[in-house]
Amino acid sequence: MAEPDDKELIQQVAGGNERAFLALYDRYAAQVHALTLHILSDPMLAEEATQDTFLKLWSRARLYSAERGPVLVWLLTITRRTALDRLRLEARRPTLSTADDPDDFWRVIPDSKTTSEESRWRTLYLAVQSLTPDYRQVIELAYYQGLSQSEIAEELGWPLGTVKTRMRSAMEQLRRVWGNP
Amino acid sequence: MPSDSEHRPFIENISAYALGTLDAEESSVLEAHLQTCASCRDELAAYRQISGGLLMAIPPKAPPESLRQRLRQHLPSAQKSNHPRRTWSFNQLALGFAVVVLLALNLFSLFQMQSYQYQQAKLTREIQTSQIALAMLAYPGTQSLAINAPSVSGALLLDKDRSIAVLIVWNLPQLKNSQTYQAWLVNPQGERTSAAIFDPDPDLPFTSVSITSTSELSVFSSLGVTVEPAGGSKQPTGQRIFRIDF
Ligand SMILES: [Zn+2]
Repeated sequence: MAEPDDKELIQQVAGGNERAFLALYDRYAAQVHALTLHILSDPMLAEEATQDTFLKLWSRARLYSAERGPVLVWLLTITRRTALDRLRLEARRPTLSTADDPDDFWRVIPDSKTTSEESRWRTLYLAVQSLTPDYRQVIELAYYQGLSQSEIAEELGWPLGTVKTRMRSAMEQLRRVWGNP
Repeated sequence: MPSDSEHRPFIENISAYALGTLDAEESSVLEAHLQTCASCRDELAAYRQISGGLLMAIPPKAPPESLRQRLRQHLPSAQKSNHPRRTWSFNQLALGFAVVVLLALNLFSLFQMQSYQYQQAKLTREIQTSQIALAMLAYPGTQSLAINAPSVSGALLLDKDRSIAVLIVWNLPQLKNSQTYQAWLVNPQGERTSAAIFDPDPDLPFTSVSITSTSELSVFSSLGVTVEPAGGSKQPTGQRIFRIDF
C-alpha cells in the first residue's frame, strides 16, 4: 500500500488520529525544529517552540484546507509564528551574527538522494548564504526575527530608506538567483 | 489599470510585504492597491514563493528523541486505549446540535409566552425574538447575519472560529413531498458545497438547521438555500429562496 500523502494524514489528524499525527511528526519534525532553532538560536527554547508547533498542528488540523497550499508550508508558517511569538516573549535582542555554521554548509550540498524539490530549497538556502552581509542581515532580521522595516533601521542604525533599498535588492537577487517560475 | 508612475511606489514595497516586514501603515496602503491591481498581485505571488521558500530552505535538524514521546503524552484528547475517539468534527456537530436544541427551546418558550400576539407580530418582531434568543445563549464569538429576502426572514448564526453555523428561518413555506430545501456553502470562486438538507417543521413557526462542512467555514463567502428534489442534489438545480453573504 502506498504511503498516505500529507493531505490524507492531516485529515486523519483532524479526526484525532494519533498515528497520523506521529507520521507527520516523523516526516517534518527536523524541518520544524531547524526553523525554530534558526529563529530562537537556543536549543531549549527551540525544542519548546517545536513542541508548541506540533501541539498546534494537533489542535488546528481541521483548519487546514488544500487552498492553503502544501501542508509543509502551512506547518512552517505556524512554526515561524510560534517561534517569533516566543522570541518576543523572551524579549531577546535579534541575533546580528552573520557567521556561517560550517556544518550547515555541508548539510545543504545536494547529494544523489536529494529529491529535486529538496535541492530546490537547498539552492535557495545557498542563495541566501551568498548574499552580501548587508543584504543577508535585512532578510534575517525581517523574516527570521520578525522585525518591521522601521525596527530594522533602528536596530542597525541605518536610514529607513537604506533598509528599504537593501531589502528590495536582496529579494530581487534571490528571485534572480533562485529563478522564478 | 494604473499607469507606471502610479505603480512604482507599490511595486517597490511588494517584496517587503511578502516578508511581512512592511510597516503597518504602508501595508494597508499596499493592500488597498492590491485589491485593484492584478499585475501587483502577480508580483506578490512571485515574492511569496520566495518567502515560502525561505521557510523550507533551512537545512533540517532533528529535535531530541525525547520530544516525540513527550508530545504523545501532551496530546490533549488522545486516548491510548481502543475506545472509539471523539473527533473534532464530531465535537463540532455536537456543539452545533446543542446550539440548535438550546435555541429551539428558547425560541419555543418565547413563542408560547407570546403566542397570543404572534399572529399580529411583524417580521421585525420575529427577528428581534431570535436576537433575544441569541443573546440568551450568550455564545461568545457568534455572528448573526440577517436574511434579506422578500418572503422569509431569519438569521444565520455563525461562529467562524469554531466552524459552527446554525440557520434560523421564519415563514419558510412547506414544500411538496417530492421536494426539499437544501443549503449550499459558496466559496469566492463560486463553487457550491452542500451544507444541509432540511424541511420546515409544520408545528413550529421557524426552522433551525445546523450547517455542516468538512472545510472550515471561513473559506466560504456566502450561504444559499434552494428548492431541490427530495433527497437533495449534488449541485443546486432549483429556485433560490435566499442568500446570505458572510
Ligand atoms: Zn499595481
